Amino acid sequence: MKILVADDSKAMRMIVVRTLRQAGWAGHDIVEAENGREALTMVGTESPDLILSDWNMPEMTGIEFLKALRGQGSSIPFCFVTSEGSEEMRSLASQAGALGLIAKPFTAELFMETLGSVVSA
Amino acid sequence: MSAIDEFEEAREDLEALLIEVLGAVFGEEAGIAWGQTIPAGPVVSSRLAIHDEEDDSYTLVEIRTSGIMARILASRMMTTADPSSDDLLDAIAELGNIAGGNVKSLLRHSCRLSLPTAEVTQAAVEPEQPRDGVVVQASVLGQVVELIVHQADTVSGLYWPGSTHTDVLEKQS
Repeated sequence: MKILVADDSKAMRMIVVRTLRQAGWAGHDIVEAENGREALTMVGTESPDLILSDWNMPEMTGIEFLKALRGQGSSIPFCFVTSEGSEEMRSLASQAGALGLIAKPFTAELFMETLGSVVSA
Repeated sequence: MSAIDEFEEAREDLEALLIEVLGAVFGEEAGIAWGQTIPAGPVVSSRLAIHDEEDDSYTLVEIRTSGIMARILASRMMTTADPSSDDLLDAIAELGNIAGGNVKSLLRHSCRLSLPTAEVTQAAVEPEQPRDGVVVQASVLGQVVELIVHQADTVSGLYWPGSTHTDVLEKQS
């Protein structure tokens, strides 16, 4: 399985990858993008099976990325990993076609609970 | 009620928020900083703005800590014994981003969060002047981290998500 991690913070991308390992999903290929625009391009070149994306990023936000992706007809599972976890944002994420929103700070258990249906060991 | 009034009322919530965020990010027990201050030397800080779309006001959310603490943070986040200065700024910016997102969640109405920025400065030699706004502190690994929330007239140097770097935040009025 190939997982695309999009976040403008290198530190946070490393934490997300580490948390995937801690959740028991160590063997997957990881590709990284620094913003939504780069991630959207990488969807075409890398064909990921799952996308984990920050919401607030330069160039293109996570929600703009998701809407563009769904606008292209893509149904790749997409989950936000972001610092804001309000009900308003969860609702926006769901309406745009995200499978979930993981608010920072997070735990491996929360990753397992949210992503368990689409990621396997 | 302005955003800053809401934060003043929520001082205990802000303190609890800072303790929770630090505990989770460092993977260590964090607590109240009883009488501790940031030691002399380099101070590493991050800053972002919350734009209240109801009254067009801006609230700044800042995180401040010592250079030593920022190095520990970057080292833990990036699993490296020798983080670069860029790593250090990235780590403190992300800590500010997490804190800012959680602070924004305390507000009851529609707001917008900027991207974080970070810098290293030398602490003033003389005692610091009292600061405006709400200041809460927490301690982790024996070091102090401050969370400062205050109203801002200028938000120069900050950027909106999704924008290019030419789209600097500007007050609308």
